[in-house]
Amino acid sequence: MGPGGRALAALARWLGYASAACLIAMMMITVADVTMRAVFNRPIAGTYDLVQFFLVGIVFLNLPAVFLAEENIAVDLVDHFASAGTIGLLRITAAALGLAFLGLLAWQVIGPAIDSVRFGETASDLPMSLGYYWALIILGLFATLPAAGYMLHKGFGRPTRRPEEHR
Amino acid sequence: MTPQIIGLVGFAVLVALIFLRVPVAVALGAVGTVGYAVLDGWPAALLVLGKAPFSFASAYDLSVVPLFVLMGAVAAHSGMATELFQSINVMFSGRRGTLATATVGACAALGAVSGSSLAMVATMSHVAVPEMRRANYDDRLALGSAVAGGTLGILIPPSVMLIFYGIIAVQSIPKLFAAGMIPGLLLAALQIGVVKAITWFRPEWAPATKPAAFAERLKASIGMWKLLFIFFLSIGGIYAGWFSPTEAAAVGTFATIVLAAASRELTLEQLTDAIVESSRTTAMLFFILLGAIMFSYFIVQTQIAPSLAHWVTALRLPGLGVMLFIIVFYILLGSFLESLTMILITVPVFAPLAQELGFSLIWFGVLLVVLIEVGLIHPPMGMNLFVLQSQVDDVKLGQLYIGSAYFLVANAILIALLLAFPELALWLPRVLY
Repeated sequence: MGPGGRALAALARWLGYASAACLIAMMMITVADVTMRAVFNRPIAGTYDLVQFFLVGIVFLNLPAVFLAEENIAVDLVDHFASAGTIGLLRITAAALGLAFLGLLAWQVIGPAIDSVRFGETASDLPMSLGYYWALIILGLFATLPAAGYMLHKGFGRPTRRPEEHR
Repeated sequence: MTPQIIGLVGFAVLVALIFLRVPVAVALGAVGTVGYAVLDGWPAALLVLGKAPFSFASAYDLSVVPLFVLMGAVAAHSGMATELFQSINVMFSGRRGTLATATVGACAALGAVSGSSLAMVATMSHVAVPEMRRANYDDRLALGSAVAGGTLGILIPPSVMLIFYGIIAVQSIPKLFAAGMIPGLLLAALQIGVVKAITWFRPEWAPATKPAAFAERLKASIGMWKLLFIFFLSIGGIYAGWFSPTEAAAVGTFATIVLAAASRELTLEQLTDAIVESSRTTAMLFFILLGAIMFSYFIVQTQIAPSLAHWVTALRLPGLGVMLFIIVFYILLGSFLESLTMILITVPVFAPLAQELGFSLIWFGVLLVVLIEVGLIHPPMGMNLFVLQSQVDDVKLGQLYIGSAYFLVANAILIALLLAFPELALWLPRVLY
């Protein structure tokens, strides 16, 4: 893995830790809210909004790691009867399609995000701008783009023979 | 070209892309977006695409998914699974096939805190299979009981599959959880029945063990209190009206962590691994869901589902006949497709059809999960088979196929019972609501 790859891996790892922190925060705020409601009859205001915020964080901050680790579910049935060259070509095509879809998605979320901030949209209970939610989505998607690009680049450098043919 | 034809072309392209190794999430999202654009124009399609990430990722109801995934991961990473397996093994000791029975029993009990089949098979492949091999069990029984028992996790609540079905089919998740309870326990009983039948006809496959003393059995049964406590607290709390599903998942996960840590079954490293793994699994699942939502928007625009329902109704086919056709279709599809993909692609079309034919969508959800379980263990493409093969050394694929095939009998009986007695799934939700 070159310096670019190592930098991407480090970025994905740290964003993954942030995503994991969001998961813990989501659990803790919910448990605290339930406890406060049960014991003191005073639920924590804004729990609903914070849970939604943390969910956005869990999902989008870990997308770069999912792409870098090739954890997206794919059906590899074709590997049993296609030639190694064909499999390599299919890998590259799939990675290119993934990059194109992600690019389109990342580009398209900018408009609604700007609109949300411009119109001053806030969460339902807390005076918290929805811009923060959008910021997590944009950060996650734009950090995933280089990861998807790196995987496409890596696809060109894969061996063109099957592992068993190497033996 | 009519919208319905465009929809069928969309389905064909989707299936082709999936079989050409395109990640399922990307295939769903790309076909959904392009299909929507063909029907309603690019400006409308891009507007929907831009808003989709926010609208689904910030949905409070979906927050139940990462929490239940974490609860299962903590149970799997900690020593809870081993303790449970050993407790059940001691409780049933003295009979032939005890270890295989304990495998199924431990899977059923673990299913009460874990909603993932693959995680359970991976856990059992480390906990139960080596024990059975040491006890000179035949590999067909050892491997078959582990892959089949693993499927119980997606039927016994909490179930990630039922959550996703509920989201796509717009059904109550607590009702779906309640509906999965009796069929889940029944399937566990049927799988134990398969173990008994195998050991009856092939006693040499499972040497008998020495019976444990009464005191030892009593002590072992007490060892199960932790999982029972977590199950009754979280799932019981939903039906007692204490918690929403998200709150139940958070409280259950917290209790699992505290109990595992207090009994020194969970190290900080294991906990960190479970949290990182769960958040990554959630990101992967939700990216697929994002693609599926785009695909669902497209399918709704095509009007395929109401057209199919109208066409089937006009043919005056008996509802049961259509349902049998759907069952065969899912079993065939399960040979090639991963379970979540099957739900996300097919439910937008088949759920309206099932409703039109007079079937309850709660019942249909349970039937669907049982059919997906069949897909997980039936050769040649069952995902559980691959997971077990990757986790256990020296697995002969033929032995694994034969072992899992025996346990398919249990699923076949359950499907027949669900068709004959829909109340198996519908009674408990009606009593609780």
